Amino acid sequence: MLRRVLSLPSGRLAIGVLVLVAALAVLGPVLAPQDPLATSGTTLAGVSGSHWLGTDNLGRDVLSRLLAGSRVSVLGSVEVALVALVVGAVPGILSVYLGRTIEWLSLRLADTLVALPFLLFAVAVTALLGNGLTQAMVVTGVLVSPLFYRVSRAATLTVARSAYVESAVVAGASIGWVVRRHVWVKVLPPVAVALAQTVGTGFVIVSSLTFLGIGVQPPAPTWGGLLASDLGFLAYQPWAPLAPALLIMATVWACNVLADVVRDVSGEAGRALVAARGSRPPTHPSTPRTSGGVS
Amino acid sequence: MTASSKSLYAVAARPGPALAGPGGRPGRPAGSAEGIVSSLSSRAATPPLLAVRDVRIRHAPTGRELVRGVSFDLAPGRVVGIVGESGSGKTLTCRAALGILPRHLELSGGSIVLAGEDVTTFDEDRWTRERGSTLAAVFQDPASYLNPSLPVGSQVAEVLRVKTGLRRREARSRTLELFASVHLRDPDVVYGQYPFELSGGMLQRVLIAAAVSAGPRILVADEATTALDVTVQAEILDLLADLREGSGLSLVVVSHDLAVVAQLCDEVLVMRHGEVVEQGQTDRVLHRPEHEYTRLLLAEHDQFGLDRVLEGRAS
Amino acid sequence: MTETTAAVRPDARPVGSDVPRDESVLQVRDLDVHYGRGRRRRQVLHGVSLTVGPGETLGLIGETGSGKSTFGRAVLGLAPASSGRIVVSGEEVTAYGRRQWRTLRRRGVLQSVFQDPLRSLDPDLTVADSLVEPLVLQGVPRAEALTRARSDLARVRLEDDLLDRLPGEISGGQRQRVAVARALVTDPSAIILDEPVSALDAANRVQVLRILQELRSAGVALVFISHDLGSVAGIADRIAVLYQGRLVEEGPARTVVTSPQHVYTRLLVRSAPTLRGGAADRAERAELRALLGA
Repeated sequence: MLRRVLSLPSGRLAIGVLVLVAALAVLGPVLAPQDPLATSGTTLAGVSGSHWLGTDNLGRDVLSRLLAGSRVSVLGSVEVALVALVVGAVPGILSVYLGRTIEWLSLRLADTLVALPFLLFAVAVTALLGNGLTQAMVVTGVLVSPLFYRVSRAATLTVARSAYVESAVVAGASIGWVVRRHVWVKVLPPVAVALAQTVGTGFVIVSSLTFLGIGVQPPAPTWGGLLASDLGFLAYQPWAPLAPALLIMATVWACNVLADVVRDVSGEAGRALVAARGSRPPTHPSTPRTSGGVS
Repeated sequence: MTASSKSLYAVAARPGPALAGPGGRPGRPAGSAEGIVSSLSSRAATPPLLAVRDVRIRHAPTGRELVRGVSFDLAPGRVVGIVGESGSGKTLTCRAALGILPRHLELSGGSIVLAGEDVTTFDEDRWTRERGSTLAAVFQDPASYLNPSLPVGSQVAEVLRVKTGLRRREARSRTLELFASVHLRDPDVVYGQYPFELSGGMLQRVLIAAAVSAGPRILVADEATTALDVTVQAEILDLLADLREGSGLSLVVVSHDLAVVAQLCDEVLVMRHGEVVEQGQTDRVLHRPEHEYTRLLLAEHDQFGLDRVLEGRAS
Repeated sequence: MTETTAAVRPDARPVGSDVPRDESVLQVRDLDVHYGRGRRRRQVLHGVSLTVGPGETLGLIGETGSGKSTFGRAVLGLAPASSGRIVVSGEEVTAYGRRQWRTLRRRGVLQSVFQDPLRSLDPDLTVADSLVEPLVLQGVPRAEALTRARSDLARVRLEDDLLDRLPGEISGGQRQRVAVARALVTDPSAIILDEPVSALDAANRVQVLRILQELRSAGVALVFISHDLGSVAGIADRIAVLYQGRLVEEGPARTVVTSPQHVYTRLLVRSAPTLRGGAADRAERAELRALLGA
């Protein structure tokens, strides 16, 4: 799968941007030129030699805050996406197969999660589990999971009723076999798209929770938090939100492009597309190959 | 009416795109089929209602010819059948004769003469007048030509009012007459029913009623029975035969099934890949096929179908 | 779930007392199938009994809503029987649970081919992967399975170079022949074919029908389900006609076609388009319709 994604220029670009973002997340706090929490005399300063991106309303170096906050921001949104994926997609696929009772229960649960007031739920859970980034992200992930539930369930349903799955069942396939062999590959592309979306919204969600002091305590920098506080001083520094916004945008954009590429290269049409570009891995009919080609 | 391109007006009165073909006729003589056609039409004393001469249809952007040289004459009260797979050009030929070629397709050669007039001179207004009153059509999927949220009766009545200028009450009683004439049981009940309440066969009857509502002289049935059960298909084919006998309607029957065409038609065209591979009197084509492809179509019935059992033939 | 878990009257009939079980590949007695639950429960099959002998080709004819596909699905364990008895190659399967069905299915005695050539093969699996699936499910190593599958590919007149293609890269007719080959790899004693040629063009229809005729000669029992009497008449040994969930006629193909007994069968025979005649039957059809409507 990765090879097929990389065979397209847009796939390479998206992966490149995401690798950069990941590097920022790992190295960001180290690269920060100054202490992200240290205040200097000049508040709301413009771009200068000592403060490349200026300072914020408390006189803290914006570049340092951006770099220092990258780890928490990226980690947070990835956590949201992964929790949502596991909590949503797995029951989404299984709800089709595990009988009416489980199907009914999981459907109602998904409805309930959608209806829950998000902030109230987040506050309640952090009160219960203690305040921390992981708790906050798990809460967010669970609340976003109905998206994954529905997307994967819909994809599974269309596959489950197809003639080729019935043929496999008639040949003695078990549920596990059907899911591994036939369903998974069809569920992956829509789930990848949902995943990219969720990573994007993850940044914004982290920031809105930061506002309430849930997950990340205010002095600690995050991209979303920076964006939020910069917006408060738009009148003094109209260009200030640009830096965090561009970072968020680039990441979300890369996620979305990657999701598109994954959708494009997976499945029947995708193989043809990649094959047309002449980079299809050579195969021989007699060589045994593993199923699906999902990496 | 719905904004979709498919509506009842498509079968009776919808204004469609005019043919974008060259202004005049090509000056060259028609293709090889000409001989057969003229010999057939000379047998019929009356001049043809519809004369299709060496019609060619081209995909304008690519210049690819999708139909290459189709010719036939349709005399009053006669039935011409066109047989072919999807992509053979049989539907495009009909659409050209109805003036409803899809976008980007144009008549690139030949001529279509409808009741003595070359249709390439028709503008949209003229087509709108001719469709329904001179020629009409029914297609494969009747449900898609009806508005799902209106009772079928009122939809047919509306076509009548637009096409023939009848008043509301007259249109209603005329619609009921039409419903009875297409053998719909309980026309009053059907009048008030919505499309989803009717079976495929009943919907096709409603469409036929709408198509013949303005008294056309030609009815084109393009795969009109394809999606139907065999017994229902026979009902519709019988209805078409009744209409032909009762009101002297001329028919163009298009189907992928040679046997369906064989039921009704006087003359058959067998099309493949945009060309007519065989053309002639139905009897002759069925008993003395000349082209290999026609033989294949016949072989299916002879070797695997009812004909094998009925005729006691062994493969 | 697809497999039957429905309660079946255990006391319906003593197993195998009145039936020569070893003689038939498939035996169905008094089969009732319901769809839906509660108020929307609807009976689709009413007491259908049919037997298919070894190497026999049964044409099962029915129109929309006749329950013909449901019959095929019930026999394959894809639709639960509400009562009656189904015996597949000597095994009474009516009360089978998921696990027992799987064990039986992996023996590969019963296979299926469905109508739509677009959906009968997984679009993401190569022809080779689809072909070997039934064998791999039996535990045959893939390399060996592929060797065996090649010979079945030849039986349906397809070349080896198709093996590495995806369903989207081959024609509808080729796809349907792959589906037939796939049903053959386990050397089944019977194949359920649900409208196997309806979606194909003439040339491919003839080719698939020829292949089916060869299978019949090779001793594979076929249940050929179709809405069209015409497409089955020339290939079936026996014909059974379903009408509104009931078996209305059954007999040797020639007898059913030449002297149908039930009104519906008569209408069906008279309605099937044939190359010669047809228009002359119009009056008779009208009469039969009136009879059937009454």
